[in-house]
Amino acid sequence: MKTSCIIVEDIQIAADFLKKFCEKSGLVDVKGHFLNVADALEFLDQEKPDLIFLDVEMPGANGFQLLDSLTYSPKIILTTSKTEYAFDAFQYNVNDYLKKPFTYKRFLESVQKVQAQPVTSPATTTTAPSADMDFLFIKSDDKLVRLKKDDILFMESMRDYVKFVTPGKTYITYSTLKSMEEKLAGPSFIKVHRSYIININKIDDIRGNTIYVQGNAIPVGKGHKEDLAARLNIL
Amino acid sequence: MKPSTIFSFHESLNAAFLEELFEGDTIYAETVFEDFLRDLPAYWEKVQSSYQQKNMSLLGTNIHTCKTLFGYVGFTDLQELCQEFENKCALNTAEALQADYGMLTRKKQEAQQIIENEYSRLKRFNEGQV
Repeated sequence: MKTSCIIVEDIQIAADFLKKFCEKSGLVDVKGHFLNVADALEFLDQEKPDLIFLDVEMPGANGFQLLDSLTYSPKIILTTSKTEYAFDAFQYNVNDYLKKPFTYKRFLESVQKVQAQPVTSPATTTTAPSADMDFLFIKSDDKLVRLKKDDILFMESMRDYVKFVTPGKTYITYSTLKSMEEKLAGPSFIKVHRSYIININKIDDIRGNTIYVQGNAIPVGKGHKEDLAARLNIL
Repeated sequence: MKPSTIFSFHESLNAAFLEELFEGDTIYAETVFEDFLRDLPAYWEKVQSSYQQKNMSLLGTNIHTCKTLFGYVGFTDLQELCQEFENKCALNTAEALQADYGMLTRKKQEAQQIIENEYSRLKRFNEGQV
């Protein structure tokens, strides 16, 4: 079976070579090519290819920021013309590293090597899982914004978008509340309604079925009351 | 006389690398050289703009992109020169890099001219092969 992949590369010539090599090898099926990290992340919210050919230096966010934002553990082949990234690549536990420009022979070696490697289980991966970090990146207004988890008051579902509310600003990003629930799994965040996830540390008070967070009234859904009560430190 | 089936790249280019990269596919080489000529001016404009704005971080990033492009058409020595310049961008001001920038601009001009000629030669070569 062919390995499914995407190419994240801002230089068209480099991406074209990769597509040509993938096709020639018969080993890899290219599901998409993205010129920047934000577009790639949008795709990865919906689909989970086995392999990502990832450039490091691109306009906006870089390849390592994409790795920080991944919610699963695909195989990664870094493609860059800078050898200085080798150490970072090692730290992120990427599967291989191709220095651009590379030949078909080198490409084939890399793909075969990666295909022979076992699939990394989420428990052993060293690619920083976003739930363990104190920040996340969200795409807002055509850029990736670094958001500290501590700064988030709550998130509201808006169909295919999620609104992030912080004390000073509101961000709207193309994502789902379910995906955010997975990314923000931990003691600070809890889903209190089908349309809301709140930061427990930011609650001012609760009156009846409404939570108040810095002037915002958030409803508590019937099915979430018990979970919420269990998580609150009620004396 | 039957045309030669082997295309010899310009002496300034890393012919051994190009032969390995294209594996004798001169049609694809023609496409890549054409793409290079299409893409380089736009990328170089960004280089010029960031140099004029004295935005050294952006200048380094833009040179990085051009460096990769030069690599795909066999200018491996120019690629190294770009790498050196890119490294210097992290540590120097635009004024301090004026001479390096001037030299790189001249080299880029020469490279572009060589690829324009090589592209025409490749085109003629491929037409002769049909």
